[in-house]
Amino acid sequence: MSVQTARRPADVAVHPGLAVRGVSHAFGDRQALAEVSFGVTPGVMTGLLGPNGAGKTTLLRVLLGVLTPDRGSVTFAGRPVAAEHRRRWGYMPQERGLYPAMRAGEQVVYFGRLHGLTRREAVVRAHAILGDLGLAERWADRTSTLSGGMQQRLQLATALVHEPEVIVLDEPFAGLDPLAVADLSRALRARSASGCTVLFSSHQLDLVQDLCEDIAMIDHGWAVLAGSVADLRAASGERQLRLHLATTDRSWLPRFPGVTVVGDLADELRLALPADVDPLVVLDAARAVTRVDDFGLELPTLSQLFVRAADLGGRP
Amino acid sequence: MTGTWWAGTWLVAQRNITDNLRSRAFTVVTVLLLLVSVGAVVVPGLLSRSDTGWTLATTGSTPAVVAAVQDAARATGTELEHVALAGGAQVRRAVQEGDADAGLAGGTLYVRADSGGALAALVSQAVVAVDVGQRLLAAGLSPEQVAQVQSVRAPEQVPLSGVQDTGRAAAGFLVGIVLYLAVTFAGSTIATAVATEKGTRISEVLLAVLRPSQIMVGTVLAVGLVTFGQVLLLATPVAVAARWGGTIGLPAVAGADIALGIVWFVLGFVLYSFAFAAAGALVDKVTDVSATVTPVTLVLVAGYMVGVLAATSDSEGAVSVVASLFPVSAPLVMPIRWAGGQVPPVQLVLSMAGTAVTAALLAALAATVYRRALLITGRRARLREVVHLRAAA
Repeated sequence: MSVQTARRPADVAVHPGLAVRGVSHAFGDRQALAEVSFGVTPGVMTGLLGPNGAGKTTLLRVLLGVLTPDRGSVTFAGRPVAAEHRRRWGYMPQERGLYPAMRAGEQVVYFGRLHGLTRREAVVRAHAILGDLGLAERWADRTSTLSGGMQQRLQLATALVHEPEVIVLDEPFAGLDPLAVADLSRALRARSASGCTVLFSSHQLDLVQDLCEDIAMIDHGWAVLAGSVADLRAASGERQLRLHLATTDRSWLPRFPGVTVVGDLADELRLALPADVDPLVVLDAARAVTRVDDFGLELPTLSQLFVRAADLGGRP
Repeated sequence: MTGTWWAGTWLVAQRNITDNLRSRAFTVVTVLLLLVSVGAVVVPGLLSRSDTGWTLATTGSTPAVVAAVQDAARATGTELEHVALAGGAQVRRAVQEGDADAGLAGGTLYVRADSGGALAALVSQAVVAVDVGQRLLAAGLSPEQVAQVQSVRAPEQVPLSGVQDTGRAAAGFLVGIVLYLAVTFAGSTIATAVATEKGTRISEVLLAVLRPSQIMVGTVLAVGLVTFGQVLLLATPVAVAARWGGTIGLPAVAGADIALGIVWFVLGFVLYSFAFAAAGALVDKVTDVSATVTPVTLVLVAGYMVGVLAATSDSEGAVSVVASLFPVSAPLVMPIRWAGGQVPPVQLVLSMAGTAVTAALLAALAATVYRRALLITGRRARLREVVHLRAAA
């Protein structure tokens, strides 16, 4: 199999954070995970990316010990992860896992105590985190009466109340509006910056492109891409010229045989340029035929990298 | 895991107790049952107070007959009121309209069709005794001799039933009824609590911190404590009435029988609770609960029916014996059989051990289902599928 990697590989002698090595698991005949390896470094926001059904949730369940894999191991700072370690982790499941009849504050206190806090500690920290997340006024409200966005923040509070060193989130951005995405990103970045190990899964590759620093991409249970987002995008050896043109006239394009069309929407033309083509020459050719409203030279998006990696196939 | 196994389990239990006590269903059911309990104590008292005596209507004055009936009624603990009316038609109407329970007019005794015949027998006997006495006097016997003839008494009646001791039999029935009702209410609460965790994926968060056995035992413990509290609350009016009111007669039951009843209650409750918990873990949405608990409810109802029918009609028949030893029906059948007083102690020990072991196995099954059913989402999981699913643990 061929996994493209860049920087911070998982196979260094002792990974400082969370290291997944050769994890495989099958449900009956269906191979859910196949020899997946990657690492999550403390302080580096890491995204576990892939389409729906790729095996992301299964992999997170392996990390959390809910599922024991057929093969492979999970270590933290070089040591196998045991139940006592996981107790200090914070986990946010894909679908909201809150007791509808409980009051918001009690809910956070309960999860804090499950994670080993004393009652007093849990109450103090629950007040602090609900204040941080703008839910201080909602302490005594029944969870079922909170709006979707508030429940999302409450869910985050239950995962963070015990100040975990490892934070694992399954599709935390699914179904959020742009403001909520920004709020959640800010909260996670702050934890990551303070040295926490943060891993989240997402199928919305372009939504999280600017949020993750590292990624692990999986497809049909195989890891197809892993490493630093910036390095992976740069290492693709591909630059894309984005052009917003006033007309749909593309008669000038055939003059550049090495250039391929990545996307041709109503007003946006996206071209992949080989290393030997000067983007300014292409731009001039377009300007000679039509008006150019906007243009830019960009690296490929995460979804484009994914499509390419999936085509190359980690799969046998 | 959170501290010790017990610390985490107790946290789960505490949360469930709070949830339970706060739920509207708990308030409604408790208030309703309390009303029924108070009603069961108060209403019979009120009814019997208005109906503690008989009324006998007669034409003219028949003091000898009335006095004889009053003596006989007093001997059975009943007061007799006498009404003297003008004629036979009035007596007949009084009985017909319910103003009197029986009416004597000349040689005719009118009785209410629903009076049960006791008063009619007393009055008939009194009329015959007075008439025979008068004829004996007329025939020349002295009043002493007549009194001696009339002192003949019928043999004492002792009502017998299929069981040796009705008090113990009642205790056996009580265990069955209370267990059946408690499990019916608590079972759906447990299944719903587990299904809520499964349906909202809270189970996923919990399993990252707790063992499935902690979640199952904590949930069953919480609902069990709340239910036991409810049972005690419901028993209070009965106990108070029996202790101070004296208005109801509770059968005298030995302390050993009460202890045995409590043990059976706990065993049966635990066994069915884990079955309900396992059923709850199979659902995908909370609304599916009623469908998955149906098999458990059917077994419960069948066990109760067998307990009541077989054990009362033929407590030593093959069906009763097998049902009282079979772990799933034992808690419902054995207390009733045991009350009959003919069960060898070895059978009691055997059925208790069987029930305890089965309860433990069901607890393990519930924990396994809870863990493995997590991997089947988007539809209701089947038990066979979950048990056969390749080990997730």
